[in-house]
Parts: sequence; C-alpha cells; structure tokens
Amino acid sequence: MRRTAPLVVTFVVGVIMVGEYFIPHYRYRMITAELIEWGLVLAAAAFVLGLINLVQVNLPKVIRREQDWAYKLVMLIALVCTITAGALGGKDRLGDGQIYKWIFDFLFTPLNATMFSLLAFYIASAAFRAFRARNVDAALLLGAAVVVMIARVPIGESIPVIGDYLPKIMNWIMDVPNIAARRAIFIGAALGAVATGLRVILGIERSHLGSDG
Amino acid sequence: MTTLLIHLWVSLAVAAPPTGLTVEPPPHNGGLNLDLSWELPEDDGGAVSGYAVLRATDEAGPYVLVADALPAGTHTFRDKVTTDPRVDPLLDTYWYRIVSLELGAAPFVPADPDTPDPEAHASWMLSSFAATAPVVGQPRAVWINTRLGWLHLMALIGVVGGLMLYYARRAQQGEEIFIRRIPGIDAIEEGIGRATEMGRPVLYVPGIDELQDIQTIASMLILGQVSETVAEYQADLIVSCCIPIVREVADEVVKAGFYQAGHPDAYNPADVRFISSEQFAFTAGTNGIIHREKPATNLYLGRFFAESLILAETGFVNRSIQIAGTAEATQLPFFVAACDYTLIGEELFAVSAYLSRDPRLVSSLKASDFIKIYVVVCLLLGTLLNTLGYTYLVQLFTLGEGG
Repeated sequence: MRRTAPLVVTFVVGVIMVGEYFIPHYRYRMITAELIEWGLVLAAAAFVLGLINLVQVNLPKVIRREQDWAYKLVMLIALVCTITAGALGGKDRLGDGQIYKWIFDFLFTPLNATMFSLLAFYIASAAFRAFRARNVDAALLLGAAVVVMIARVPIGESIPVIGDYLPKIMNWIMDVPNIAARRAIFIGAALGAVATGLRVILGIERSHLGSDG
Repeated sequence: MTTLLIHLWVSLAVAAPPTGLTVEPPPHNGGLNLDLSWELPEDDGGAVSGYAVLRATDEAGPYVLVADALPAGTHTFRDKVTTDPRVDPLLDTYWYRIVSLELGAAPFVPADPDTPDPEAHASWMLSSFAATAPVVGQPRAVWINTRLGWLHLMALIGVVGGLMLYYARRAQQGEEIFIRRIPGIDAIEEGIGRATEMGRPVLYVPGIDELQDIQTIASMLILGQVSETVAEYQADLIVSCCIPIVREVADEVVKAGFYQAGHPDAYNPADVRFISSEQFAFTAGTNGIIHREKPATNLYLGRFFAESLILAETGFVNRSIQIAGTAEATQLPFFVAACDYTLIGEELFAVSAYLSRDPRLVSSLKASDFIKIYVVVCLLLGTLLNTLGYTYLVQLFTLGEGG
C-alpha cells in the first residue's frame, strides 16, 4: 500500500494533466485548474517547511559556534528582520518609507546585482580554460569563438580586408551550425522529457520511491 | 482654413457602424471563446478611428465593454466570455454589439476615475456612437481537439507509452537490452567513490526550477539513485535546494534512498537544505557550502539559469569533480567549459535508468529511441517534400492553438 498508493495517484493525476493538452472542454479544464491550485497551495505551504529547515540547519551551528557561524547568525537576523518588517508593513509593505521596501531596495537588490556581476569574471576565467586549443574540437571552438567575439565588437568591422566579412561569418556561425545543434538538443531533450514523464506516469520509474519497487 | 474645415467636418461627421456582424464559436475550442467578425464601414480609417466590442447576457442589455479602441481596419475579435467558469459560470448565449468610434470624439469620463466601470462606459458609447444591432453567439465546447497535429501528437505519446510497456515486459522476461556507455553517468559513481575516499561530501544541486518542471522531476529521480549509492558507500550527501517544495520531495527521496541501501540511520535531514528561493541568494548560499564544506564531487542536474557558471566555477576553484546535466541549451556551454562531464539534453533524462541498471527502465530508453528515429526520418522526408512543394508532413507536426 505504501508503494501502490503513490503510484495510483501519480497515474491518475498524470493522465488527467496530460489530457489537458488534448481535451479543450472547459469542464475538463476546470478539473485541471483545480488540481493546479492544489499544487500551488502545497508549494506555498512548503515555504513554511523551508523556513523551519533553514532555522534547523543554521541555528545549531550558531549555538555550537561552528565554522563561519557569524555568517549564519547574520542570515538568521536578516531572516527575522525581513519577516518582521513584512508582517508589520502588511499590504503596504512595498510603499514608500516602509522598512521592508528599504530592505528590498538597499540591501537585497544591490546584493543580488553583486552576485550577478560576478558572472562576468567567471565567464572570463571559464572561457580562458575552454578556449585552449588542445585538440581539433577545442581548436574549432576557439576559432568560432574568436570570430564571433571580434565580429560583435565595433572594432571588428574596422579591421582591414576581413572586417566586412566578419559579421557575415558570425551570422552564418550563429544561424546555421549553432541553431542546428540547439535544435538537435531541443528535440532530443523533448523526447527524453516525454519518455521520463511517461515512465513516471506508467509506474515504470520508481526511483523516487526507492529502487526496489 | 481648409485644414480647420476638414477637421470640423470630420469631428461632426457621424461614423457609420460596421455591418454583417457574426458571432461564432471557434472550432476545436473549449467553449470559453467566441469569434466575432464584421465588415468595415466605408469611412473606416477616416471618420471611424476604431472599434469597441460590447457584450451582454441579454439582448436588451446592460452591455459591458470588453474591448476598447481596436484600431481602424480591425474586423475580427476573439472574446473570452469568462476567465474562470468556476467563479463566473458560462451561459448559453451572449449578445454582442460593435461600436464605431469617431475620430476626435471626447473620451469617456468615469464618475470615479479610480474605479473602471465597463457598464457605464458601454452605456455612454451606445448613446454617443453608432453601433451594430445586437447579435447573439452561443459558445460551443468540444471534448477532443481533432486538429491533425494534436491527433498525431496524441498517437505518438500513445505509441511511446505502448512501446515502453512492451519493452518493459520483454525485459522482465529476461531479454538483454543494450545501452551505450555514457561517460558522464559512469563518472557519477566514480565521483561518489572519490568523495568516500577523501572523506568529503557529495554536493547535489537539483537546479532552481519548480517541482513541476520535467528537468527537476528527472533530477529527483536521479537523486534517488545517487542517495542510494552514497548510502552504500557510506559517504555524506548535501542537497542544496532553491524551491521549498523541491526540498521536501528531495528529503523524502534521499530518505528512501538511504533506507533502500540499508543505512536509514545515516540519513540526516539537515543535509537536505533549503537555501533561498531567490536565484542569487541561493547561488551565494550554495557557493558558501562549496567553500566551507569542500565537497569532493558536485552534481548539478536539473534546470539552471545564470547561476550555472557561478556554481561551476566555484566548484572548479574548490577542485571538486563536477558533473552537470541540463536540457537548458543556453547553460550547456557554461557547464561544458567549467565541469569535468556534462550530460547534454536527453542524457539527463536517461541517467536514472542508466544508474539503476533496472532492465525495465533501461528498456524504456529503447522506446524513446524508436520515436527519435521516427522524428529524424520525418525531418529528412519533410525537408525533401516541403522543398518539392508538398506540405503534408509539415501539417502533421503543426499544432496550432490548443483550444
């Protein structure tokens, strides 16, 4: 029963949700809309569990003064402050002069932007490693990357003789081999996704329940 | 002077209403839409600057405004009669009128500017402009979308499902199923072994998308196999989650994996962690885990976005063995550049079957391979036929709207 019940629920709900694509009748869509809403409610309720997990994982480390406990303390203080500010602010928490909005605008947004901006440096370091011409494949990658990079910057077009051709070569690389490879990945992934979905719905795949099913 | 006279003439002219209004339910429709079409009046684009669509549940009204300021030249409109039939039940009939909006006419001024009043707006339009006579429309719902493309897709899914069950049955009867070697998947077990030898944990990141995303589902299936192997090797596993519901499912999956491996006591719920549902806060938190807990093996399997390279480069600096897998084409180059092994697209969906060595699962890969062959043949044949002017195969793969 411990195994059968989840398999039956998965099969029934899976078939109903797949059916949505082929059965346009509004009465059927009312059923699927209801199921989706149940899912949303469950996902929202999981936030409370996530919050509990966050405290369960980090608070003991602060109490035991484990490595980098101070960062976890900052995180827990930020968590309490943000929840308190949001709760006190209520519906108007995003209004001007609200503490919650201040936290969002002057702490969260700059920190978010800082993390995102790190990407530029990581791209540079990863590209440096990826573009070493160790074999034919890597050399092709390097060649294509150099052409695309130079053609994308204004200085590329001002290079004598080849400057006029660079954008055309770049467009060809982006539109022909690049798109072809991407489409191959998309088609393969889509078929893989269908197969995975069906494996779960039909109960062939039971890894999530323990493999001995 | 002439311009002034023309402007005066235009503003005084009474715009004629459209003619020939028809209201029909669209084919293959779920019953919530009605298609309106009308013939344009002669002064369309001149005295008539546009059109408004009014709807009522009774011929006499009251009418409500459902579309305002459709530009001149518009002669069709699809109206969704109710957005949610659970709240606003669908009726048998709806009445429509189309209003010709006059060029230069004064705009409607509602009694309360902060509260839209579609009924008062419609009433004002009917008293100010010319409108068609009321025309009735009856929504009609169909149960099955009978468009060729959708029927074809339905048949394909049915065939895949049938083939899966067929091959699963044959595998259960003992038939050997060949599956090609995928180095990236072999490396997962090697990576777990390495972590065990080094006495350091394995970090598993199931992407940052919601649970209903198929890549996250595939990742949860892989996590089941990974956690079982980790438990068998008696290594440590840290799962870093961005979505709370994903953490809850991951927690259950890891628990089941440890239980299945015969080491339920080794399972620690604090190792399946919710970090943050914000993308870069999650990235910062996971980077912190990589820096502090120094996992020997990092597995990034699921749907990733801009955080992919930040995570993978941090793992590279930490000298972890890194195996990534995603069907997100834009992130694949980053993983290829920064990770030791990358599972591309469909390989992600084959990992669970490959790792399990379960004949039923492995055999299911064969079913999807047959469909892949079918799609490739259709692609080649479709290209050839389309070049020759025959579009039948293209129509077979054209879905159109879903209704």
